[in-house]
Amino acid sequence: MNLPDIVDRTGAYYCLDCGICTGSCPVSRVYPDFSPRLMVEKVLVDQEENPLEDINVWACLSCGQCSVRCPSEIDYPEFIRLIREEAARLGKGGVPAHRGLFQTIMRLQTMDVKQSKTDWAKEVGRVAASGDVYFFVGCAPFFDVEFHDDWGLDMMDSPKGTLKLLNTIGIEPVVNDEERCCGHDLFWNGDTENFAKLAKRNVDLIRSLGCKQVVFSCPEGYMTFKNRYPEVVGDLGFEPVHIYELLRREANTEKIKFKPFETRLTYHDPCRLGRQAGIMEEPRDLLKSIPGVQLVEMEHNRMSGICCGTSAWMNCSTCSKSIQKKRIEEAISTGAETLVTACPKCRAHLSCALRDMDTPLQIRDLNDVLAQSIIV
Amino acid sequence: MLDVGRHPKVNVLAYSELVEFAGEIGNFKAKVRQKPRYIDASRCTACGACAEKCPTKVPNEFNFGFDDRKAIYKDYAQGIPSMFTIDPNHCKVILGGKCGVCAKVCQAKAVDYEQKESFVELNVASVIVSTGYELFDATQIPEYGYGRLPNVISSLEMERLLSAGGPTKGHLTRPSVIQGEKRLKELPKLIKKAEKDQNEAEKTKLEQETTWLEEQAHKYHTAKKLGFIQCVGSRDFRFHKYCSNYCCMHSIKEAIIAREHERETESHIFYMDLRTVGKGFEEYKVRGAEVSGLKYIRGRVAEILQDEELNPVVYYEDTEQRKVVSMTLDMVILANACSPSKGIAKVAELLGLELDENNFVKTHPNRPLDTNVAGIFSCGCAQGPLDIPESVAQASSAAARAAEVVMTEGLPIAV
Repeated sequence: MNLPDIVDRTGAYYCLDCGICTGSCPVSRVYPDFSPRLMVEKVLVDQEENPLEDINVWACLSCGQCSVRCPSEIDYPEFIRLIREEAARLGKGGVPAHRGLFQTIMRLQTMDVKQSKTDWAKEVGRVAASGDVYFFVGCAPFFDVEFHDDWGLDMMDSPKGTLKLLNTIGIEPVVNDEERCCGHDLFWNGDTENFAKLAKRNVDLIRSLGCKQVVFSCPEGYMTFKNRYPEVVGDLGFEPVHIYELLRREANTEKIKFKPFETRLTYHDPCRLGRQAGIMEEPRDLLKSIPGVQLVEMEHNRMSGICCGTSAWMNCSTCSKSIQKKRIEEAISTGAETLVTACPKCRAHLSCALRDMDTPLQIRDLNDVLAQSIIV
Repeated sequence: MLDVGRHPKVNVLAYSELVEFAGEIGNFKAKVRQKPRYIDASRCTACGACAEKCPTKVPNEFNFGFDDRKAIYKDYAQGIPSMFTIDPNHCKVILGGKCGVCAKVCQAKAVDYEQKESFVELNVASVIVSTGYELFDATQIPEYGYGRLPNVISSLEMERLLSAGGPTKGHLTRPSVIQGEKRLKELPKLIKKAEKDQNEAEKTKLEQETTWLEEQAHKYHTAKKLGFIQCVGSRDFRFHKYCSNYCCMHSIKEAIIAREHERETESHIFYMDLRTVGKGFEEYKVRGAEVSGLKYIRGRVAEILQDEELNPVVYYEDTEQRKVVSMTLDMVILANACSPSKGIAKVAELLGLELDENNFVKTHPNRPLDTNVAGIFSCGCAQGPLDIPESVAQASSAAARAAEVVMTEGLPIAV
């Protein structure tokens, strides 16, 4: 797609040059060279500098804070992503985090590789080989390899917790070793070719299993299946649903009972789940339904929730660390003992920054907190 | 307005609403419901003795709750017809309780708790719809913190604070201090109660609150560093796409008046582009900067946070400097958009009027006061955002158009 088409598709020509985007951007506050407004201006007004060559294209977190406040409703994350797609074609790219390990794992999954990513499920709960509901485990098993021993982060907390929650409301989901990465990160890295391959593999697998509903605990997987897969594979033939949507629909029948947990918690909205999917109250309601939990809000919450500082395993920098530390300080100032989040990436990124901070604050996954409090 | 109230040929039906409407140009029939005021209009002299003695306090809507009115009240001093009204949602007698103080003190014997609504039928040749506008509800923009942060206020709240007849008599007291002073009046009673209950923890907490509020009232009594945020809800695809026309001017005006009230006032106006279009408007803007020291900053504010002293902190990109900056202010005034009034849909349905895409009354492009119904005209903010001079001009013009209909008995006139 050429630049005028990108402007057309994202409504960027409506830009009023007002500066709300840049004023709202968590990156711009730390790293002044990055400005969503100037990026749009650069594309709208023909300048000598080629936007495709601009390294700042890769600094955007795609958190969408600018877009929800934009008076012209410009889809800024999509604007950046389309530019990335073009820039990637020219061989440009961001700086991969973790030595490119995750990108390599993602690209490997486009091929016929044998995986064992669901063994844990049989130990934790009940799963089925076939049925109506598929549980999309996501990349937590891969993240666990990187973070478990180095940082002591059990990334499997989230899928394990989700499975327990599903079992509690009477669902024995299908899980499958053939499942691939959803492709979210490659998509946002500008690699649409490999993204499409992953999408096809996942959709073919789930269709062949005959499942009618796919449950996600990872917000990125959920949003990618829901909004991006149909662009590649057409009608999915099944319904992607997030675990909290499902719990809201199912759990009002008092299927879930929690034991008391005396603590003070604060909740960090992941951008894909909160601002972008609009699931903001369900996680809070679930936490509040645990007896003894006191939920306190950070200054930036819900639609104004701050990004965890890095996205799509790319351009993790001192700027990311600064955003993360500010977010953790915000959590500390609420007096909470634990910062709860609902995205494995947010948890990993914030936990990374926490390693250099002297605070007793804990960071935990929401599904884990819920699962630990369930009365079975 | 007072002249209209006194005019022998102008019959004002305030506190009333249109319930039925039929007919055509030159011969419209309208049925109007007059809500009961529980006061005999022919007897009330608006002396105010009733309100002075009424024991029931209600937050004063006209002053946006900055102070209280009584359950028997006048919406505002200059309102017409000049008479009192009993608020049926708060009056003890009407709610079935005991009181009757107002009836006792009224020398004119005007209070009538049994009054019922009445209906008036009118036969008119022409109608003018001038139902005005409503202030955009800024709580819809959560990042601005309106309704949550005490020192972030709307443009009309600022008008009341600046008014000599307002809740602070024109003094720019910070809203957090106004609230704090109210709380300070309650606190001694609560402390005594805690003492009586021997609840030491509660007592200490209340005493700490008292000290903090007293310190706040002393240190931050007057708002001296002001921020005006333009385009709150207007020129915004999420709410109103249109420009609200008057906000640039009223923000400049409020900032200039604030400076006249207090020499140390420093105002910052955050704008996208200042639309000072009109006779003498541009000069007024320049005067604001040169004489009153207003600072115009190009950049729409991204978000407003609050520090520990309840000072609003605005974050914005200064687009001329290309820098993201924050500024701590004493008070922030939002230039709320001009929203169509909520009741307009009902009025339009009764009259058979078409509304435009923004829910204002649709008017003819070449005859700007004519609606789609012959004989019905519209002027002022009912048909779109307008400032005072334009509204006044339109009102005179609409009156002339309506008079034309009356004089020609509804026959069309060549324009």
